[in-house]
Amino acid sequence: MSNVARQEDPASVERIEHDEFDPVGTLALIAFYFAVLVLLWLFTYFVEFLGNVPTPVVVA
Amino acid sequence: MRIHQYERVWLLASMVLIVGFIATITYGAVGLGITMVDDRGATIAPDEINEDERFGDPRVEQVGDDEYEVYAVAMTFAFQPDPIEIPADSEVTFYVTSRDVIHSFYVVGTNTNTMVIPGEISVVTVEFDEPGEYGLICTEYCGAAHHEMEGQLAVLEDEEFDLTELEVEAPDEVEPDGEIEITATVTNGQLEAIEETVTVELGDETLEESVTVEGDESESVTLTVDAADLGEGDHDWTASAGDLTESGTVSVVEGSEDDTEGGDDA
Ligand SMILES: [Cu+2]
Repeated sequence: MSNVARQEDPASVERIEHDEFDPVGTLALIAFYFAVLVLLWLFTYFVEFLGNVPTPVVVA
Repeated sequence: MRIHQYERVWLLASMVLIVGFIATITYGAVGLGITMVDDRGATIAPDEINEDERFGDPRVEQVGDDEYEVYAVAMTFAFQPDPIEIPADSEVTFYVTSRDVIHSFYVVGTNTNTMVIPGEISVVTVEFDEPGEYGLICTEYCGAAHHEMEGQLAVLEDEEFDLTELEVEAPDEVEPDGEIEITATVTNGQLEAIEETVTVELGDETLEESVTVEGDESESVTLTVDAADLGEGDHDWTASAGDLTESGTVSVVEGSEDDTEGGDDA
């Protein structure tokens, strides 16, 4: 139950500033998810939805 | 509050995504004029459908240049009319209502899709650019034979599409000394006048006449033949207008009792 870090040798614990934390891998993964999301949306709306013509329209 | 730089990027990106979603849908609605089916159609009592001017006779009607209206009825387990024939490249508004339970009107493979609720009239306006055959199905579970509820929607080339009907009035039986009158009536359901060649044939007699039928009007052509010229027995007749054909048989018999369906005024 105790904190793992506390059990470690204090010498091996590195303290860094808030902004020094730099999880590039996580950022890359999120960027990839984001790109997938955008592509899925474009596909769903512009290909799957708009491609199934005709679509009901408002008549002037 | 200290927010990590990456988290700022992520928050901003999510905002952009939301704005992007709204922007695409706004583009669809404003730029392309896409609409959802709403309650702009009036209401109608399901048990008064048969008396209704539109739904009493489910049909396709021309209401303007390249503008058509379809009055369709869904019921367990069919659509009326079936098949529905409409022209391509025209603005077609479907008015659909139900006689009984909730159905739907889904033109398979398109976004032309609406629920059909008893009491409500669903209104959907679409334009098919290409001719083709479409299936029509019900996507709301409506009963034991729901899976069999289907119809046909035929989108025809503009030149092939017409709302022309041919109706023939002919007697079944005529006395040998009587006259046989066969009347072919061509009805033009469209707004523009049409030219049709009407042909009525009975025995050796042929009547061919070109008629001009004004929009929303009908014209009749009558062939009169003396029964004595044909002699006793059965005689086949044919009437045609354009690609429409009707045929039947008239019997010349002594002492026929029923001189039905006109032609008995000789
Ligand atoms: Cu149904």
